[in-house]
Amino acid sequence: MTAECAKTQPADKLKLTVIAGTNKEGKDFMPIDFRQVTKTYDDGTTAVQKFSLHIPSHTATVLLGSSGCGKTTLLRMVNRMVDPTSGSVLIDDEDVARAAPVALRRRIGYVMQNAGLLPHRQVIDNIATVPRLNGVSRSAAKRRAYELMEIVGLDYTLALKYPGQLSGGQQQRVGVARALAADPNILLMDEPFGAVDPLVRIELQRELKRIQTELRKTIIFVTHDVDEALTLGDQIVVLKKGAEVAQVGTPQEIVENPADQFVAQFLGLDSQRRTLSARPRAGGGWFISDARGKPLGVVDQAPIDRAPETG
Amino acid sequence: MGWILNNSSRILELTLDHLLLSAPAIVATFILALPLALVANAVRPLREVVISGTGLLYAIPSLPLFIVLPLILGTGVRDPLNVVAALTLFGLALMVRSAADALQSVPQEVRLSSTALGHSRLGRFFTVDLPLAGPGLLAGLRVVSVSTISLVSVSAVLGVRSLGSLFTDGFERNIVPSIVAGILCTAVLALVLDLLLVAAGRLLMPWAHRGGRA
Repeated sequence: MTAECAKTQPADKLKLTVIAGTNKEGKDFMPIDFRQVTKTYDDGTTAVQKFSLHIPSHTATVLLGSSGCGKTTLLRMVNRMVDPTSGSVLIDDEDVARAAPVALRRRIGYVMQNAGLLPHRQVIDNIATVPRLNGVSRSAAKRRAYELMEIVGLDYTLALKYPGQLSGGQQQRVGVARALAADPNILLMDEPFGAVDPLVRIELQRELKRIQTELRKTIIFVTHDVDEALTLGDQIVVLKKGAEVAQVGTPQEIVENPADQFVAQFLGLDSQRRTLSARPRAGGGWFISDARGKPLGVVDQAPIDRAPETG
Repeated sequence: MGWILNNSSRILELTLDHLLLSAPAIVATFILALPLALVANAVRPLREVVISGTGLLYAIPSLPLFIVLPLILGTGVRDPLNVVAALTLFGLALMVRSAADALQSVPQEVRLSSTALGHSRLGRFFTVDLPLAGPGLLAGLRVVSVSTISLVSVSAVLGVRSLGSLFTDGFERNIVPSIVAGILCTAVLALVLDLLLVAAGRLLMPWAHRGGRA
């Protein structure tokens, strides 16, 4: 698929196969650029101030920050749920302000906390929503929805259930399937796994990573959970209040070299939660704990034989 | 009992008249209440004005309204249209608040996600907001239906034929079975219509009755 056909893909020609590198080769398309965007609400609060960021295509960028830092506002600027007061957001070098919001949203996947599924539609119809909006026939949309159920690891027996009959984790999978149904190049995820219990959350993160290695979407993922950010992000953007960028980098860069005290604090580096120490175990291998002595796990192989650096 | 059996065809006719006066009023109430409720919800400062304002309509005594309305509408006092219009006004008094609350009860996150998926405003209203407001709308409509059916009787005083005619005749000619038949038929009609509404709700909103997790 080339950039051109992605943009002009007619509604009735929904691609029925997504898996296996449709986007893998080809040129770099669907990068997202924030250029000096500012959002001031009517009541005078500034949610985002002069925020600029390049989001490379086919990568997952995590916007990490505490609640109220403007990360959700940034996310919603991409599909024009929020229009910036000044500055612009570009997809593929085109200003989204020039796109019709409804059409724009139909080619961008969106997953939110609590999934936001339609309670009056069966799972299969929920997943088929966007293809149906795009004018795909009912049967084709359903076929596509069943494919998606398989991709996100949902049992077919759930197809005819209503969202209220599913567990939180299953609902969230439906949310992801629905977002992917029209094969969008961009996926916006607003704390999608925030409301599920920790075990399910980890499982969903793993699934998302697996799906991402296959589909290679351009993902913007909003979270306040550091571990989630480190797990999912190719690129992490740590945000302060007003969406001020504290640091941009790969998970490794951020953990190794936090830009300032704020980042270190946010990641728990200053409390030495991420400064690890290893002790040899009686039965072989190594016992790992953090600097406060909290046990974290064991490794079979010996860590590199030198004292841990502190930074 | 004998009186009722002897007059069964007349009672049946009057029941039909009763239904033909109330059903259009109930439908008109439903259709008119929706835009009013939408306006009330969309324009915050107007909300209480619209809702309480229509609610106050219920405070108008029914008989004077039946008499005054023709002056405004230019219809005759005995014109069924007059009765339907009056009943619709009373219906709105009950329905606008229900409809406004029902439409507002649609979860914000569902609205938000529907917009994010690319529903147009109008599309979202018909495919998301309206069905999800369904249970609340139905609850309001059931009250309107029962209230309308009972109010229709008043129009008999004006000489418009309905089950109320059984009361007026019964009182005038001192026929107790006629009054009893009027009460019974009105109650039965209200009950039947209510059951029909509930059945329609079950049919149209299967999702609302499937509680619990799989």
